[in-house]
Amino acid sequence: MAAVAKEHGSATGNGKRWHDQHPELGTAPVPIEPYISQEYFNLERERIFRKVWLNVGREEEIPQPGNYLVKDLPVCGASILLVRGKDGRLRAFHNVCSHRSNKLVWDQRGSCQMFACKFHGWTYGLNGQLTFVPDEESFFDLKKGELGLTPVAADVWEGFIFINLDPQPQESLKEYLGEMGESLQGYPFAEYSATCYRWTTELHANWKILKDAFQEAYHVAFLHKRSIPDSFTGKNNPFSHGLDYRLYPRHRKMAVYGNMEHQPTPVEKMAFQFGSLVIRNDFSLSNLPPGVNPTKDPSWALDLNVIFPNFFVDVSEGTYFTYNMWPLAVDRTLWEVRTYYPQPKTAGQRFSQEYSKVIFRDVIMEDCSTLEQTQSVLASGAKSHFVLQDQEILIRHDHRVHEDFVGFYR
Amino acid sequence: MEIETEKEMEIETEKGEPMAEHVLPETFRDLEPFAGWALATEKERNQKRLASTMAEIQSFYDAILPRMEAVIAYLNQFPLDAMPADAQRLLSLTFSLAEVSTAVELFKQPGVIDGYDATRFVPVHK
Repeated sequence: MAAVAKEHGSATGNGKRWHDQHPELGTAPVPIEPYISQEYFNLERERIFRKVWLNVGREEEIPQPGNYLVKDLPVCGASILLVRGKDGRLRAFHNVCSHRSNKLVWDQRGSCQMFACKFHGWTYGLNGQLTFVPDEESFFDLKKGELGLTPVAADVWEGFIFINLDPQPQESLKEYLGEMGESLQGYPFAEYSATCYRWTTELHANWKILKDAFQEAYHVAFLHKRSIPDSFTGKNNPFSHGLDYRLYPRHRKMAVYGNMEHQPTPVEKMAFQFGSLVIRNDFSLSNLPPGVNPTKDPSWALDLNVIFPNFFVDVSEGTYFTYNMWPLAVDRTLWEVRTYYPQPKTAGQRFSQEYSKVIFRDVIMEDCSTLEQTQSVLASGAKSHFVLQDQEILIRHDHRVHEDFVGFYR
Repeated sequence: MEIETEKEMEIETEKGEPMAEHVLPETFRDLEPFAGWALATEKERNQKRLASTMAEIQSFYDAILPRMEAVIAYLNQFPLDAMPADAQRLLSLTFSLAEVSTAVELFKQPGVIDGYDATRFVPVHK
């Protein structure tokens, strides 16, 4: 399924189009309805978010037995409790007491030996078993062994924790990630995950508006002309054409061009001198694994890896960043942004990371405005479709995958 | 000590208020007028940037940028997790340089041009 077309990797353009490799996608405009329809949103909840593997965190967040993490999933009206057991195993449960369904754990993270419900004191072990019921004798035929927390399927890929709300997942996490998972094998996620900076924001936009914006680079030369004027565009590639695109059955990736003649600002230059940056200044070919920068183009900045439905793992050299887009309503999205770096050993490296996250954040400030401005006029009916060009093929593919799951137009 | 105290009294902050005592390592006393930028969290640094005029931002930028090589060389002698308090403040000053750099070098105004409301983009980290 993965299409490899090295001759298309040219940043200068050679008359060939990525869409030629994927005639099944067509070239027609794509409908706006999925971004504004409540009916479509309801189907996404049932047919996507209740069915597929969802990234909810990283293993570093709960390293020790007793460590727990709560992940609320408003789109499914669910809250998930992730806990590291005394046996070192990671387990996931619905965060719901078996008595009268109070939310069991209210804080976001912590460490404990057992979970006691605030409402009536029902108590559970780290393995989810119900261990204590106050005034147990007053219940009727209470079978404590059958009243543990409701388990949720959980698995880990490269340190990323995924859960699946389907009581019987259709496939394993490894099968679900398929070639996308394999392509990132060998990337130093563990080393680069020592330091994590995180932001969250609630945007007034459909979650797919966010996804679309971060799976194309066409906008860079315009929306980001002040913040990153020459990092991802250059004389030979004024419109930030991708070096490589790969489409998998559900997931997809793009290798993003980096301008070797990028002129760093004074502070950026200093930051680079003391550490590494999202915007690469050192274009010597790296030791990154074969699946990263797959064409091994020297003018490479980073790979966008879009894991269906709502998880981006964008990898560069010395750093990577992730996005999780969580739908709250048809026109509201909780967006989690994280940037990861190796452990800084010196003040200079720490300064470098600070610069890197500030420029990263300010670029995103430009994106966020556009996302909300777009959503604010989508329901006007002025347009019924988005017009996509060749370099927006990942968006087109996403529409196709959505329809495969949702079946709205079938 | 008393003589030092007198010297300390001469140092003024940006707002012209006398500083009670030195807050930065001795070699970097020239940066003391900008000690108000020594803030512990990204949120505080970003708020100060957005609440400052470009003249204030520019004067801080101009003062610390030429000192950065020396600042980093000085700070690099300490383990990151065991820095004396004055060095820690100096380090957070460098973070504020990172914070204001985009205002000076890219946007020519304190905030991101056509940018999102920064208070809505909430750092979970420090």
